[in-house]
Amino acid sequence: MCWFYTNINKKMKKGKGTMTITIGLVCFVLTYIIFMQFKTVEETNITLIETMREAELTESLASWKERYNATEEKLLQNNETLIEYRQKRASNQEATELLNKELLQAQTIAGLTDVTGDGVVITFYDKSEENKVKDRELLELINELKYAGAEAISINDQRIVNMTNIMNIWIGGEDDNESYKEDFYILIDNSKRITSPYVIKAIGDPKTLESTLTAKISGFISRYSNATLKVQNNIVIPKYNGEENFKLRYAQEVTKGEEK
Amino acid sequence: MKKKHEIAIILGITCILLTFSIMVQLRTTNNLISIAGNTYRENDLRDEVLRWKEKYDVIYEQLQLSEKQLEEERKVSTSSDDSSLEKQEELKRINTYLGLTDVQGEGMIITLYDNTPSTFSTSNDLIHDDDLRRIVNELKNNGVEAISINGERIVPSTTITCAGTVILVNGEIIGSPFVIKAIGDQSRINNIMRPGGYIYMLQEQYGFNNIEAKKSDHLVIEKFNGALTNRYIKNVK
Repeated sequence: MCWFYTNINKKMKKGKGTMTITIGLVCFVLTYIIFMQFKTVEETNITLIETMREAELTESLASWKERYNATEEKLLQNNETLIEYRQKRASNQEATELLNKELLQAQTIAGLTDVTGDGVVITFYDKSEENKVKDRELLELINELKYAGAEAISINDQRIVNMTNIMNIWIGGEDDNESYKEDFYILIDNSKRITSPYVIKAIGDPKTLESTLTAKISGFISRYSNATLKVQNNIVIPKYNGEENFKLRYAQEVTKGEEK
Repeated sequence: MKKKHEIAIILGITCILLTFSIMVQLRTTNNLISIAGNTYRENDLRDEVLRWKEKYDVIYEQLQLSEKQLEEERKVSTSSDDSSLEKQEELKRINTYLGLTDVQGEGMIITLYDNTPSTFSTSNDLIHDDDLRRIVNELKNNGVEAISINGERIVPSTTITCAGTVILVNGEIIGSPFVIKAIGDQSRINNIMRPGGYIYMLQEQYGFNNIEAKKSDHLVIEKFNGALTNRYIKNVK
């Protein structure tokens, strides 16, 4: 731009040479400043990541606190159980009951018992024949429920356990094509067939569950118009149906002293 | 004289334009100051995360010790009961299933790398939390019994989430390369590399060429270094 004007100036009388040079210089300086500024702005993109880092840190902090609390709780529980065992032993009492209690707790956490408690019920349904709920959306929902601290989850009364898998099934072959119109359903744990509407029950702290899932922009309910959430007390979630997921054929416990 | 006026006006407009753009740029830079303020907060946060991590390490150490003591005590206290041995075995089995013990066995190691960043790189060049969730899901579909991602064991409370530009598994920050270990029937695990599977899709559709799958006859997967709780669920009587 400046080059153009200095050219015009050059066409003028010779006495104006100094003025031309001055203006040219000013233009140059100004352009230089603008470029410098542009560089700074480009760098703000990097600082944008800095602000993201803050979000990451907040997230990380929250999860470390949660992990600490869970560990502390378990530690106190262990110490209590330990004392109880010792007392029983000291008074020559049978400790079988205590062992049963421990076993029951492990089974409860694993999903081998019917459980009840407060939480949320989410209804998630196909938008249309062409736009059906997919496995990855259910995986996303389960992930978010766990993130909000859900301790037991079921989809259409099928209990979700540690090794549960959720798969899209198209009759006539698998295909990740959204417009595929053949018969479609979702299979849980390779054997349990479920279809829309999907009723997902989750037991945990109802407040945390609700606020996490309905959070603006990031919450599942905010992101999916075909999902609704209801806080409910005394939800009952049935135990895992079957045995397949609890078989250990390949994984063996590494016993003490054994080399890793 | 008329020409002189024209030049003056043109120069005036140019100056206004330049001044205006400088002002705009300056305003953007002003935002930088508030960002600088954030870094102070960041440092505080970073300190706090470290503090909690240390606190956690201490308490986790105590937990491990108590688990050991408990196991011993359990054995001694219930020695007079014939059925107790069976129950102790069952307890161990469930804990193994839950991911609370170190396990070993045959299986596979799958390693995924983000595509190398370039000037034109987009979020499509990164492995996302959703990708990891779907791979883990496919592994479970093929009957695996233990899984870990970058050392973080998959347990019932495990979440795979993203925060900003990083992925969190069990709340621990992980990044590329993503090393997924799975113990189970090797021939079945191999299924996840089949055409039509999710990994195949990552390779073919999204151009992730840095995906390796390696069979292993003796794989060790470490336990979850945390605790699972049941604060809210009660057994139905």
